[in-house]
Amino acid sequence: MSLERVHDMNAEPDPILIAQKLTKLYGDRIGCRDVSFSLWPGEVLGVVGESGSGKSTLLRCLAGIDRPTGGEVMFRHADKPISLFDIPEPTRRKLMRTEWGIVHQNPRDGLRMDVSAGGNVGERLMDRGDRHYGKIRAAAIDWLTRVEIGEDRIDDRPRQFSGGMQQRLQIARVLVPEPRLVFMDEPTGGLDVSVQARLLDLLRVLVRDLGIAAVIVTHDLAVARLLTDRLMVMKDGAVVEEGLTDQVLDDPQHAYTQLLTSAVLAA
Amino acid sequence: MTMMLKAEGLTKQFVLHNQGSVTLPVFAEVSFTVERGEAVILHGQSGVGKSTLLRILYGNYRPTLGHVHVRHGGDFVDIVTATPRRVLEARRKTLGFVSQFLRVIPRVKTIDIVKDPMLARGVTDDEASRRAGDMLARLNLPERLWSLAPTTFSGGEQQRVNIARSFVDPSPVLLLDEPTASLDATNRDVVVELIDEARKAGSAIVGIFHDEAVRDRVATRRLDLTAYRAAA
Amino acid sequence: MNTPHHDPDYNFGYLDEQTKRMVRRALLKAIAIPGYQVPFGSREMPLARGWGTGGIQITAALIGPADTLKVIDQGADDTTNAVSIRRFFERVSGVATTELTEDATIIQTRHRIPEKPLEAGQILVYQVPQPEPLRKLEPSEAETRKMHAWAEYGGMYVRLYEDIARYGHVATTYSYPVLVNGRYVMSPTPIPKFDNPKMDDMPALQLFGAGREKRIYAIPPYTSVKSLDFEDHPFTVQSWTEPCALCAANDSYLDEVITDDRGGRMFVCSDSSYCEDRRAKGHVGKELATAEALAYVGHVEGGSDVA
Repeated sequence: MSLERVHDMNAEPDPILIAQKLTKLYGDRIGCRDVSFSLWPGEVLGVVGESGSGKSTLLRCLAGIDRPTGGEVMFRHADKPISLFDIPEPTRRKLMRTEWGIVHQNPRDGLRMDVSAGGNVGERLMDRGDRHYGKIRAAAIDWLTRVEIGEDRIDDRPRQFSGGMQQRLQIARVLVPEPRLVFMDEPTGGLDVSVQARLLDLLRVLVRDLGIAAVIVTHDLAVARLLTDRLMVMKDGAVVEEGLTDQVLDDPQHAYTQLLTSAVLAA
Repeated sequence: MTMMLKAEGLTKQFVLHNQGSVTLPVFAEVSFTVERGEAVILHGQSGVGKSTLLRILYGNYRPTLGHVHVRHGGDFVDIVTATPRRVLEARRKTLGFVSQFLRVIPRVKTIDIVKDPMLARGVTDDEASRRAGDMLARLNLPERLWSLAPTTFSGGEQQRVNIARSFVDPSPVLLLDEPTASLDATNRDVVVELIDEARKAGSAIVGIFHDEAVRDRVATRRLDLTAYRAAA
Repeated sequence: MNTPHHDPDYNFGYLDEQTKRMVRRALLKAIAIPGYQVPFGSREMPLARGWGTGGIQITAALIGPADTLKVIDQGADDTTNAVSIRRFFERVSGVATTELTEDATIIQTRHRIPEKPLEAGQILVYQVPQPEPLRKLEPSEAETRKMHAWAEYGGMYVRLYEDIARYGHVATTYSYPVLVNGRYVMSPTPIPKFDNPKMDDMPALQLFGAGREKRIYAIPPYTSVKSLDFEDHPFTVQSWTEPCALCAANDSYLDEVITDDRGGRMFVCSDSSYCEDRRAKGHVGKELATAEALAYVGHVEGGSDVA
């Protein structure tokens, strides 16, 4: 192995996202509490826990949708860390449309249902200023193909699609501006098992090929095992255990994680 | 001699919090080193913790105490304390784990599964294709299967795909968990040859084999875990 | 031109002076920020909202005794709504009214920009039913304000994209969105896109009032107004294969008129003043005689002799 490669391996790149003591309170009720972690480019972090554990609250704070009560979210932009809730709202909105994306559990929350598939994918390009119809359409076709939606469906509206197709369309819409960070909230929830498998495989390949960092919130440990590199287990708003995904699932240390992993047949 | 792996004071006990916090001690204070070109075979009766130890070396289980230093590039990574991304990087480039089971990735072609680790290490696509083909042929997997996803293959065929993937470009540190189990004699011999070639090419190997004949052919050294058995 | 008397039971221009001042302040702000929608305290008027109260309030706040007012609806001076609004201002202000574009100082309109180019010093007042061009994309007012504030206009192009994908061209023909002064996307009210190019760099002042939605916006004279389009699908206006059947104009916006119950029809200028002016100058369309026989147009001096 050459010296250069050795050097490369040891050089620590900067994290793309840092959460520091992130806390969200709803009055007296705790949404999430003191959550800290760093996420590096190309890394996929899973957040698991039962409903009400605070994982969705955490995701909304990380993605800039909800303002946390305490703590900070730092996002690396133009080689500098910026504090997500200290920057002006228009800058944050622009980042949300260009540098990161959100895949919602329900495709209806992430799609324009009365706009064609091509328009849904193309909107993100028009958002960033693309004004050439032919190029926008070509990019839309490319992305529809990548998520295995036939080119002949480009002018159909999402309501004419099955649930799995709608979810794939949403993923294409999120990934077309080539974001560096993607948040996914139960991306396979509400889909049939066979449809889920196809979607998971697609997500795995896309995340790997594009080298994007991702935070995936799920209650499904099988999804977490297939898609994530490491895992945070949440309970009552706090992280009770974190580590390599296979280690957390195969040798859980915390009582709650042991309960969670034993509650399923084979994750 | 180049030390590739150093296990230091490994102790493991499982604590089952939801069963009255019962503690199951497995072994204590296991320390050993493995050099380049060595094959250390773990020994001891069932329940002595061979599989548990192998999984700790890979970072899949967390030891209660102790460290696992693996030579990764220019220096050593402690698999126990390193960040998850360092462990994943070490697994991608240095630390391989081979069991008899292929973790099936749906819809990916057999040939691509075998090429994948080489591509991740920077081998060109052409060379990776050539070497993957040679390896699958050597393991007697018919060429008509190469372009199919192994989801529908028999257990034995899947096992050979997994072996091909693991040995086509063997990791500097190889952890083997019964890779020959349930293979027929012909293919078992091929696997033994592959292990031997990997070792002679410089891989440091730690393995578990139930088949005494295979064990004898592969081992350069044995490590009996019985001596480290923890007092229950 | 006639000069009626101001009904003394009403304040000049109908609105009280405080209200006029409030509307003028909104107008000044709108002129200062071209294309930006300024909220204003829209008043109840003696006709239902949706019938042009926004435009009427602007005209009422601006009009002075020396002004000459022209009112058009669907391009014509003689439609019911135009006649009613003109009569209203005759009664409450007593100002002179006209049908001739060049004679007017204030022109209140709903669906058209007159064909005759407007000049410096003239004011064009539009009645606006729906001022928000982003409304079809985004129902929340709070959100559309943010989209304007930060010029997040990608979604507007989705509408154009959808048209091209479905019909091969942009099918939107009315209220075609424009970018004003390179900054705000604005709805030009339901004028045909044929009129959009007239808004660009116009010497006259353009004011827009939406009574129900309580918004005023403006385009100062000589301001850039660009219709949204794609590089490879540039903006185009409607065109007709035939000239006006009455005055033979081939540069005006034409309306289809049904002439009998056997499918007879003709295309005529929607700007009645422009058409009459041309006929008065001797231009003759090929169905003018038929139209006169049907009494669709009056006997116009000069034009009728040449059959």
